Amino acid sequence: MKRTFTLIAAVVAAALVFVWFARDPAWDWSLPGEVPAPQVPADNPMSSAKVELGRWLFYDIRLSGNETMSCASCHIQALAFTDGVSRSIGSTGVAHPRSSMSLVNVAYASRLTWANPLLDRLEDQALTPLLGDRPIEMGLRNGVQRFGELLRSEPNYSELVRQAFPGDADPHSMLNGVRSIAAFVRTINSFNAPYDRYMRGDAQAMSESAERGMDLFFSERLECFHCHGGFNFTDSTTHAGNDVDRVGYHNTGLYNLNGVGAYPADNTGLFDMTGEPRDMGRFKAPSLRNIAVTAPYMHDGSVATLEDVIANYERGGRRIEDGEQAGDGRLSPYKSEFISGFELSAGERADLLAFLESLTDDSVLTDPRFSNPFVR
Amino acid sequence: MLVRPFAALTAATICASCSQWDQPVNIPFIATWQGEPIDCSSEKSALTDLRFYVSNVQLVDAEGQGHDVRFATEMTWQNDAVAYIDLEDGTGSCQNGTADTYDHVLGVAGVREYHGLRFTVGVPFKLNHTNPLTAKPPLDDPDMHWHWRSGYKFLRAGVRTDDDGFWIHTGSAGCQGTVGNITGCTFPNRIEVVLPDFVVGEDAVSIDLTELLTGVDLDDATRSDCSSGPPEESCLAPFAALGIDFTTGEQNGAQRVFSVQ
Repeated sequence: MKRTFTLIAAVVAAALVFVWFARDPAWDWSLPGEVPAPQVPADNPMSSAKVELGRWLFYDIRLSGNETMSCASCHIQALAFTDGVSRSIGSTGVAHPRSSMSLVNVAYASRLTWANPLLDRLEDQALTPLLGDRPIEMGLRNGVQRFGELLRSEPNYSELVRQAFPGDADPHSMLNGVRSIAAFVRTINSFNAPYDRYMRGDAQAMSESAERGMDLFFSERLECFHCHGGFNFTDSTTHAGNDVDRVGYHNTGLYNLNGVGAYPADNTGLFDMTGEPRDMGRFKAPSLRNIAVTAPYMHDGSVATLEDVIANYERGGRRIEDGEQAGDGRLSPYKSEFISGFELSAGERADLLAFLESLTDDSVLTDPRFSNPFVR
Repeated sequence: MLVRPFAALTAATICASCSQWDQPVNIPFIATWQGEPIDCSSEKSALTDLRFYVSNVQLVDAEGQGHDVRFATEMTWQNDAVAYIDLEDGTGSCQNGTADTYDHVLGVAGVREYHGLRFTVGVPFKLNHTNPLTAKPPLDDPDMHWHWRSGYKFLRAGVRTDDDGFWIHTGSAGCQGTVGNITGCTFPNRIEVVLPDFVVGEDAVSIDLTELLTGVDLDDATRSDCSSGPPEESCLAPFAALGIDFTTGEQNGAQRVFSVQ
């Protein structure tokens, strides 16, 4: 009798321990010690089933209206989850006004997309590319129904969604689908670039040229770090231990139409959201991590190379000689005070480029955890 | 002893002011173009879209006093605050549309004599910034939601003439806060409709797309649109027709698009 009781107690204890670990909310981010964990919405905790489901969905072309593109079509791993073209093309062939942004370390972005101050959760942002009709991106018509049917009809998804959302009476929902995609995207982290290894004490990780470039980057002379500072090289960064809302939008003097500071009508930046004249041409400073593999540059992909980007900042704004977009961005009344211009020698320019190249983390570009699960 | 008569009096007062909700209300909506009905398959000019949310519906008595219409809530196109009108059927030019149509508001009002109708085209602020994936019908249709602006598209309307066309989406813009925690919007962009001669039970509300598209060139071979964004000059004329000052998002005059038919 006593033996039976002990056995039952042991089984119950083992079950409790199992349940405890299975439900442990602490997700292993596998981050270097100095890097804080990202914020995770309270209603969408991380789990391995959710991340696994999200990875499949991220690469699933059935989430576009005509089954031709997935999230990964505009967010290609080898290009740090950008797409290499100036303006992304949607599933029906319509060009987006904007260039695809990198998803690397997007879990740390205090705001999402190029210039939307309202969007701070990937779960909300995902609805625009999936369902938006101006422009059509993935164009998932009747998305709520189709997303639900996909989760129900695909056995692998149906099992994963039940594991990922165990308390949900009807887990096969678009809501849970976008939660899963968001959870997967939060895992795409990069802190293993030569720059990171150098900062962790490996003096050989960066070349001497890159070291000199780093000094230039963080100098008051060049001012780069004011907008591209912090561990993620953008001033719009947050993390789990942070409760200050930091987000920066900047006019970099890229356009000055008609001499009044205007930007092309389909790409006015923060102004499009707020209607405030002072917000004309203000866009979020993107993270510079992996910047060497994410050409072309700027919100509209209108600058082909990093050399050209640096040249615009040296000049204190871009000058467009003729055509509809003619104008001297250096003279824009809306330009950020940090875009004041500077002069570089040829050697310094090479050093700055070497530093920017030291931000490329080859591991995130090849990590099988982030790769296409449909390709075996 | 003192409380009981007072309570009875209060109950009687409430009953008198709201009377019985015995008057059925059925408000039909129809779309017109140059004085004729228009649909997705009309020849020459056709609808490409026409869907909107109606709220704050009131019937107006002889003294000009408004009296609430309570929406029937047993159907999915209405809840107690918002009714969804969908006048496109997904055929012909309405490539982005749906087969289902909802062409009337159903409800009840107190029994009395009425001489007019007023309503808002829009979703009230406290419901406007909910998540469409968790909202109750009719606010659960992502086609009617503006994910990047946060909030619903109050009105989607469009007309095509041969290869030319124009469409408009209205909704609140310039909102503050973050999705899920929107605190206000600089440009409310709600359309206030007042129809003094409307006779409930006899009349319909006509949406005159000719008025909406006054000032829009349908023969310039350019398909244009207005998405209620601050920089869009293409919004100026349609917003004026809807009685909204495009620079403030507030009503600044009578709308000309909705009329008694």
